[in-house]
Amino acid sequence: MNARRAAAIWLALAVAAMFVLAASLALGSVALPLSRAIAALFHAHAATPDIADDIVLTLRLPRALAGFASGALLALAGALLQVLLRNPLAEPYVLGVSGGAATFALAAMLASAPWWGVDLAACAGAFVSIVLVLGLARTHLWHGEQDASPRLLLTGVVIAAGWGALITLILSVAPENRLRGMIFWLTGDLNGAATPWPAMIALAVALAVIVPVAPQLNVLLRGDTTARALGVPVERLRLRVYLVASLAAAAAVTTAGTIGFVGLVVPHLLRLAFGNDQRMLVPCAALAGGVAVMSADLAARTAIAPAQLPVGVVTALVGVPMFLWMLLRRPR
Amino acid sequence: MSAKPLCIENVALRVGGRTLVDGLSATIARDEVWCIAGPNGAGKTTLIGVLAGLAKPAEGAISLDGRALSSWRTADLARERALMPQSTHDVFSATVLDTVLLNRFPYLTGWGWESRDDRAAAHAALDALGLAAFASRDVLTLSGGERQRVALAAVLCQNAPLLLLDEPLAHLDLHHQIDCLHALHEAARNEGRAVVFSCHDLNLARRFATHALLLDGRGGAYGGPVADILTPERASAAFGYPLVLIRDGEHEALVPSLHRN
Repeated sequence: MNARRAAAIWLALAVAAMFVLAASLALGSVALPLSRAIAALFHAHAATPDIADDIVLTLRLPRALAGFASGALLALAGALLQVLLRNPLAEPYVLGVSGGAATFALAAMLASAPWWGVDLAACAGAFVSIVLVLGLARTHLWHGEQDASPRLLLTGVVIAAGWGALITLILSVAPENRLRGMIFWLTGDLNGAATPWPAMIALAVALAVIVPVAPQLNVLLRGDTTARALGVPVERLRLRVYLVASLAAAAAVTTAGTIGFVGLVVPHLLRLAFGNDQRMLVPCAALAGGVAVMSADLAARTAIAPAQLPVGVVTALVGVPMFLWMLLRRPR
Repeated sequence: MSAKPLCIENVALRVGGRTLVDGLSATIARDEVWCIAGPNGAGKTTLIGVLAGLAKPAEGAISLDGRALSSWRTADLARERALMPQSTHDVFSATVLDTVLLNRFPYLTGWGWESRDDRAAAHAALDALGLAAFASRDVLTLSGGERQRVALAAVLCQNAPLLLLDEPLAHLDLHHQIDCLHALHEAARNEGRAVVFSCHDLNLARRFATHALLLDGRGGAYGGPVADILTPERASAAFGYPLVLIRDGEHEALVPSLHRN
């Protein structure tokens, strides 16, 4: 891997992202010609916006961008946690971030909070979970060797299980008319994504914080002793990776609910295709995750239009067979 | 690339209330090959970690080039000494070349991409250990011995004047053990490096090392020229089993005695 090859991969993925974005603007229950959809972007301040401008600017563009941002955040979080835990099966929700977000969000829905109240609750729940894991597994977070990493993982898994029980509790006492919204939230749904900007900002911050240390991540994968001997500040790096991954997962969950499999499958596909150099992989995961969720959402809202599927159903339906294929194809 | 002297003064190592090493003093200088020998759990790995500056000794001081190890910046230290841990556990696929290149981390600048020099150093290290044909192999497909040689190549390409190697001969067959020791010997003699390695084969140590550190795991630690340290008497005492030195022409070997006492 060298800088030129990495840049070529990034460029190809960026082109793919633009392509899917254009398709997301044009396709839907009201199909628009591509030129009309793109023209709408430049009519933003036109004196007389027509219905096509309205569909593109207030419905399709924010939704596509929210999909891109949450997918990018999830794949980024997955790639980072796989490095942090030195475990290829780690994914953004493995340490319980989504469980905390879901529990709080559902509780807010139960209390008939407005959409921003639900988002705020999800965000708070994610933070509670992050702080809880950090507090309980503080000492294990600093050691990635065989004996300690499973304990961090176990702490996260058990906390996630606890959240799972609370979610079931809320679902079982929730009135019928709220259940549908709750189920959609739990599977991951971009229908309720009001604005893409918080997720976009979170994505920019996450990349700005983690891309400069990507060479250190490569060394961290070799084990703590080697990393320390090569001059990597292991403890500080682990804390940074944990916080960025958790905050990325929290931002994604707050925007779109718990979309599954993107954080697990996307980094793996990229590794199979291009190798495991984190300097290339970290930005790649963000781009490819964004493309994946944006495409999945396009499918979710066009497959059985005018009805809409939750995007999490599409990512899981595609992700499960893909993951099994990846798991079984490698001769071990 | 000549090694700066590593001074060990009155060092004690303790693990969980047990004193492994007490009052160890030695100076490791360029051109020298030091073997650390001792029974299991005697503190060989702990001592190597302390010499690398990754942990502090319970007592005493260690200095590199006259400066206490703890006062070195980790990035500077990484260009002065390389550490090869006892085992490496690979989780993800990576080519042998990329794995070796990771040890060029202390020299990366800018956005952290390797330069032509870094690649040249990695290829040279692979060549030195006869691994040129392995460059594009996946590390997950290597045997234990092959992986060990790749780890050694990685340490060599770090171009550090002081090499600290924890059991570099583990998993290697005899032929590769000798090759590996030759490579270390050359590194010391031709490049002015200093080499410290832990090893269970006292005869290979006697043949290739210039100096030895013998730990008995009960606090006793002896350092000096290999012929003075790895003697039948001292080794018998340290390992808790009688050893005898046999000679055949110019060949010598320490073998376990047939009689326990």
